[in-house]
Amino acid sequence: MTVAELPPSERFVHPALFYGTDEQYLDALVPFVTEGLERTQPVAVAVPGARLRLLREALGDAAHEVTMIDMEVAGRNPGRIIPTVLRRFADGHDTVHVRIVGEPIWAGRTDAEYPACAQHEALINLAFAGRDVTIVCPYDTSTLDERALADALVTHPVVWEGARRLKSDRYDPDDVIGRYNQPLPAVSDAVEMTIEGTADLRAARGFAVAHAHRLGLPDERMADLQLITGELVTNSLRHTGGNCRLRVWRHHDHLVCAVEDGGHLDDPLAGRRPPAQEQFGGRGLLLINQLADLVRTHTTRHGTTVHALLALSSQAR
Amino acid sequence: MVRRSGLAENTHGLGAHDHACWRYEEAREFHAHVREFLSDGLARGYRVWYTASGDVTALAGDLRGIDGIDEALASGAAQVSSLDTQYPVGAPIDPAAQVRAYAEATQEALAAGFTGLRVAADCTPLVGTPEQLDAFARYEHLVDHYMTSSPLSGMCGYASDAVDEQAFGQVACMHPNTNSPSPGFRLYAAGDDGTALGGETDLVPGELFSLALVRAGLRPRDGRIVLEAGGLEFLDHNSLLRLAGHAADRDALLVLRTSWPGAARLVDLLDLTNVRVEAAS
Repeated sequence: MTVAELPPSERFVHPALFYGTDEQYLDALVPFVTEGLERTQPVAVAVPGARLRLLREALGDAAHEVTMIDMEVAGRNPGRIIPTVLRRFADGHDTVHVRIVGEPIWAGRTDAEYPACAQHEALINLAFAGRDVTIVCPYDTSTLDERALADALVTHPVVWEGARRLKSDRYDPDDVIGRYNQPLPAVSDAVEMTIEGTADLRAARGFAVAHAHRLGLPDERMADLQLITGELVTNSLRHTGGNCRLRVWRHHDHLVCAVEDGGHLDDPLAGRRPPAQEQFGGRGLLLINQLADLVRTHTTRHGTTVHALLALSSQAR
Repeated sequence: MVRRSGLAENTHGLGAHDHACWRYEEAREFHAHVREFLSDGLARGYRVWYTASGDVTALAGDLRGIDGIDEALASGAAQVSSLDTQYPVGAPIDPAAQVRAYAEATQEALAAGFTGLRVAADCTPLVGTPEQLDAFARYEHLVDHYMTSSPLSGMCGYASDAVDEQAFGQVACMHPNTNSPSPGFRLYAAGDDGTALGGETDLVPGELFSLALVRAGLRPRDGRIVLEAGGLEFLDHNSLLRLAGHAADRDALLVLRTSWPGAARLVDLLDLTNVRVEAAS
């Protein structure tokens, strides 16, 4: 049975592709792309820059018919990949089957980024349930650690390895979403302020900017920080009805802007849906995902903490 | 023209085209600011005018303490009138008619040899019902446009025990200056029939911002709605979407002239095709 013959609810195909060499990468993905083009299916490739160059060269002229996206830029923050890369492309072609290669996890991902990457992979299954889309996620077995490869079996229902198509018996995306919903690292040198209402928003932004200057955030990113602070605090005040706590500190090459409140974020796809037209609200978390280089969230029945990270230099982005 | 705009800490030093919205708790405190504002006006050669609810004799008493007030009242350099006879009690005002009345009074002052007209008004009784509030907010913006081209300056007082913060915000945002940190944004006249947006937009609910856009009568000229936003300090995405929607409903391009870099960033992230950000002049 081909994808096209499946009933709508089963048309979403989400395999992890395990590869160890460039040759294996191209052997699997060049046919995936060219078959799609032959069937006049829209194809997008969103992979790290070096992989993008490799595929572009191998595809030759066919590459011109493919939407090529550098995942290291577009997907720097894994939280924005679903809305601004995957759904943006798929929603633009919603009457036909769409093929996407999405590689959000590579060896250079940091320990801070990885949990958000794994959660992103798990959430793809929720975001695309019932959609007429195939999203292949390549995993480099020669450089990724065992944890990433083991998690790929949990976040993908199918694994492609060479010519083999295997069903994953460990598939359980909710497990990964929950497993990486962990308390975020506490720090002792953070500065903090309590926000009691919208009247404090101006002061909250001023507080964040003043400390960001002190900690070395480049001027060109101050507006991003203002927007992030405003959206995080506004979200907390609006959805919890109580106070929230804003904290700012430096973590390695990043500035962390964190907001903690007493609410519970019970929608795992919050901030990962493209907005409906004519919608004024509901875009706050999506914007934070677009603006920040990384967003981490810990949410329980007793409270929610969101960390938005901004790179202190362009090298760290 | 670039007008003075922002948070006003006192009523001293305001110029010929200034327009301040004043929220007060104690009448005594408001009267002190009225005296400061009008005393300054007399020194600048304006005719000054004080209007509030109550008996004119009592109102004249509120001005005691201004140097030479008796002579000014006697000569007509200072005038006092009661809102109770000047306005229809409990009914909404006619914004355009009210502006015409102040335009005539300004011309009369100029004809009488004064350099302008300065009005201090306690507007509290004029915004008691939603209809009054709506009409008065429209009037505040309309008269602000008149002020940019004529030497009319004004100070509009609102008592906090009668006009709640939400209602106050609806009129305050139509002034270039206010003593209250809320509502945070200001939609006011920029001269040449232009409109300016200043301050921060996310301190009040977005509905208030939309209401202000409609009440300010923001309409396209040559297919564009231009906002002089040199004084814009922060624009949240909700307000930007409301602005873009306001322009789209009128088949217009929104031109936002601001030096705040977040505006262009938001326009890009929100994929707004009918908004253009230009450098503030």
